[in-house]
Amino acid sequence: MRNFLLIFGLFTLVMAGCAHNPSLSPDAPEADLEQTYAQKTPLILSQSDTASDQAINEDDDYLEDDDYEVVEVADPLYYWNKTWYHFNDKMYFWVLKPAAQGYKAVAPESVRTGVSNFFHNLTTPIRLVGSLLQGKFKRAGIELGNFLINTTWGVAGFGNLTKKHPELNPPPEDVGQAFGAWGIDHGIYLVWPVFGPSSLRDTVGLVGDYFLHPVTYVDPWYASSGIKAYDTVNETSFRIGDYEALKEAAIDPYVSIRDAYIQNRKKKVEE
Amino acid sequence: MKLKLIWICLAILVLMPFQVYAGGPMEIAEIEVKKILAVLGDPSLAGETGATAKKEKLRAIFDNIFDYVELSKRTLGRNWKKLDTQQRDEFIKLYRKLLDSVYMERLLAYKDEKVIFSKESMISEKKAEVFSNIDTGDKQIPINYRLILKKNQWKVYDVIIEGVSMVKNYRSQFNEILSKNKPEELLNILREKTRAKE
Repeated sequence: MRNFLLIFGLFTLVMAGCAHNPSLSPDAPEADLEQTYAQKTPLILSQSDTASDQAINEDDDYLEDDDYEVVEVADPLYYWNKTWYHFNDKMYFWVLKPAAQGYKAVAPESVRTGVSNFFHNLTTPIRLVGSLLQGKFKRAGIELGNFLINTTWGVAGFGNLTKKHPELNPPPEDVGQAFGAWGIDHGIYLVWPVFGPSSLRDTVGLVGDYFLHPVTYVDPWYASSGIKAYDTVNETSFRIGDYEALKEAAIDPYVSIRDAYIQNRKKKVEE
Repeated sequence: MKLKLIWICLAILVLMPFQVYAGGPMEIAEIEVKKILAVLGDPSLAGETGATAKKEKLRAIFDNIFDYVELSKRTLGRNWKKLDTQQRDEFIKLYRKLLDSVYMERLLAYKDEKVIFSKESMISEKKAEVFSNIDTGDKQIPINYRLILKKNQWKVYDVIIEGVSMVKNYRSQFNEILSKNKPEELLNILREKTRAKE
């Protein structure tokens, strides 16, 4: 008898644990209601969602979300920028994409990956200086270490041996991010022909990156540009379809790109 | 014999605080993503004939995980108050259509990348962020989901890809439109956009 009581006691304790499961809700019928109206068309809203005199806490919660204050960038050169946006758009569809597609068709993925690794290795100075300017010495050290490993064992950088190790892949830094880390704001939004979206701060950063890019020092100037152009075509060959998808998803592609650029840069500065 | 029983009782009492929320945000996200991957990888749904069935199944999963009302409110933010009840209704419907078709297109382009869930963190009592990565072979794409607990169910109200929040991105676009036009114009644009996708 006593044993039975004990076992019963244990059983209730264990069952108490299950009562804390939030998804096994006692208001299962209500959850079902939300399901049914979500699946049927037309979508009928329940009273609680649109009535303005509902419980203030839950309904107005979306307004309190500080994280969702739109991070605006000043765009006084809106019409100028938009012109270049259209230019770049045409450039992509008429020049870059066909080149990347043709290239992709003839170059096997291993070759393209090798080239990508090579250029990634080559641009170590940009990431190195970007890290140092932010006092991220450990990160700078990793970049340097990777450069040494991949240049020697990776055969001039074509093989990227450090790619597979997450601890050896810090988020890439650049001079523009260093400025951001110093507290310098974007200034204004800028769209450059060919180079795409940028800002006042990031453009100065790009100038810095330019002087840190080894290929810049290749003579003559058109060889240097040609090599960089090849790098661009090679990178694009991996991402054909991404730009189109972004345009498809957007209501206003120009604004979407501007916002995505700002959000992405903010994340990179924070990393 | 008695001693053993006492030990067992103590063990249970000690372990009780460590009970896990079965159905926490990360678990929910993982389950739903696995369902999506299962549909995408289903050999019986391959090709043209299976495409429609595939889309139907995906749509059902979307309805399960997304809270379209919450998404709509957060995307419009302060502008939500500018819309009357009927406009809000229509906005939610159109926005849902837009998101469904956008996600559908991206998912159907999926091949067999690995999806790895790393951790979850609570933003507040009823909001959580779940971190995941897509391994495409040559790079990792971070994708985070933000979920809200409503009526005891965790639902997604934002997707953040490489640091870009979908809600913020659409919000900036809608802000731009609503700063120069009436809500009716926004609905018109959405109608056009979703009609073009059908």
